[in-house]
Amino acid sequence: MNNIIEIQGLCKRFGDIQAVQDLNLKVREGELFAFLGINGAGKSTTINIMCGQLGKDQGSVTIDGADLDHNPDHIKRSLGVVFQSSVLDSALTVQDNLESRAALYGIAGQNFKSRLSALARLLDFEDLLKRPVGKLSGGQRRRIDIARALLHQPRILILDEPTTGLDPQTRKLLWNVITDLRKKEQMTVFLTTHYMEEAAEADYVVILDSGKIAAQGTPLELKNTYSGDYITLYGVEEQAVKAMNVEYEAIRDAFRLSVPDTAAATQLILKHPGIFRDYEITKGKMDDVFLQATGKKLEGGAEK
Amino acid sequence: MTVIKALIKRNMKLFFRDKGMFFTALITPAILLVLYISFLGNVYRDSFVTNLPEGFQLPEKLLNSLVGGQLISSILAVSCVTISFCSNFLMVQDKATGSIRDLTIAPVKGSALAISYYIASLLSTLLICLAAMVLCFGYLAVIGWYLSFTDVLCLLMDVILLTLFGTALSSIINHFLSTQGQISAVGSIVSSGYGFICGAYMPISSFGEGLQKVISFLPGTYGTSLVRNHSMQGALQEMSNYGMPQTAIQEFRDAMDCNLYFFSRPVSIPVMYLILGGTVALLLTIYILICKRKKRA
Repeated sequence: MNNIIEIQGLCKRFGDIQAVQDLNLKVREGELFAFLGINGAGKSTTINIMCGQLGKDQGSVTIDGADLDHNPDHIKRSLGVVFQSSVLDSALTVQDNLESRAALYGIAGQNFKSRLSALARLLDFEDLLKRPVGKLSGGQRRRIDIARALLHQPRILILDEPTTGLDPQTRKLLWNVITDLRKKEQMTVFLTTHYMEEAAEADYVVILDSGKIAAQGTPLELKNTYSGDYITLYGVEEQAVKAMNVEYEAIRDAFRLSVPDTAAATQLILKHPGIFRDYEITKGKMDDVFLQATGKKLEGGAEK
Repeated sequence: MTVIKALIKRNMKLFFRDKGMFFTALITPAILLVLYISFLGNVYRDSFVTNLPEGFQLPEKLLNSLVGGQLISSILAVSCVTISFCSNFLMVQDKATGSIRDLTIAPVKGSALAISYYIASLLSTLLICLAAMVLCFGYLAVIGWYLSFTDVLCLLMDVILLTLFGTALSSIINHFLSTQGQISAVGSIVSSGYGFICGAYMPISSFGEGLQKVISFLPGTYGTSLVRNHSMQGALQEMSNYGMPQTAIQEFRDAMDCNLYFFSRPVSIPVMYLILGGTVALLLTIYILICKRKKRA
């Protein structure tokens, strides 16, 4: 697979604050790429530079084969962006909003009408076209934001915390649409999120801390590197667990044992076959990875 | 061109659908109307009557037309500028709400955005001001019509020129604003202050000499004078036909700001047009330069 985004040596400073420091990353075509970091880690700065909203101090950004410095318009046509908060015009109807935005890409008349009906079917907002955006619910508005980002059929969809504040049903709907788009149109998705379960679904994850990459890899690689495994053990007495001399915690109807990796879990089970009658082994979570890699907890974007 | 057309359509729709922005734009003309209905109209009428030469009388219709001409000139002169400021606040609101990001992530040139804001604001203001002008003409037709066809055409030109001036000035000032608070502050200052400094609320001739000199440097003053000249020209001519002495008419023109002086030197109507037209050209050049100089942070 080709790299559709390549960033090399990217630096950006705001006064005394080095927002992005020598950032290098590659995103492969068609993959779901997750960009994690607390607020102020440099995610939005990087995205803003990629979108041409912000100048860079150093480094190069190549997107869809075009260099940001020489062909920003090509890059703008390749990117569809769903901002953290909706930036559509609240006073205008859904159709007016999408019509004005489509015109920015030269899509008008019959081309716009056919694109609009395709998106309305895909994102299920045919009945919302005549309603002002300001009168829509959070979930409905998010669907329109995604439709706006997809108007010009971009090759890369940037989602900046797209599901924050949405109900589980709408989150599911959005993820179904995004998954569908990736499959059908080979669309690359560049995601920033605070939901670790969303990051865990990504093909590749980059964790950013103070403008630098703190960790990167597939979710499995990250979990293997930065977190251990857990064995949840049911139907045993605490004395028996204590005797195994491993770190554990009591949960409602079981004990959760922490082990360095799956091999260590296997060894422990083989050593105490009498105790391990009802159990399950799980990998560490992305939260643990994030905590290990940055020393910080990611909850709602704030450092904990 | 499609992009600019689409953006102009979007900007105009937003202005007319945003009731807050639309009605704020109408506050200053509304205040003027209330002031005239409640007391200013009577003040001017009494002033006209008491300043007539002794034993000289004018028909009621002519007096009404004089007061009406004063009223409509004030309303039109102020509206062209204050409404253009309000309609042009959209460029600030787009920054405050973040909508500008949604426009600039598309392959759209900054100049296209700047032009679309300017033209949309110009058209919105013209629509409102021309509608107001039609209402004003209707009012004059009821109370006393003395305008010639040339006066009407000149008034149309004055309104267009003043709107071009207001839109260019507001484009430059609004370019540097980025928050709702700044919109409120500038909106309040312009709405309340512009009527005074352009001579709409009170004639400039009634101000102190020092202030008059300062105000004579402001191009908007000449815009107001142009509108006043053309809205009162017919009635003043009619006063002459009634045998009113020319010296008295000249004094009257001085008092009503139909005659303006730059450090005691009279400014003729063609020169007023030159000042206003030149200012529009200068402001537009400044706006274009500002937009060109704006670089990415």
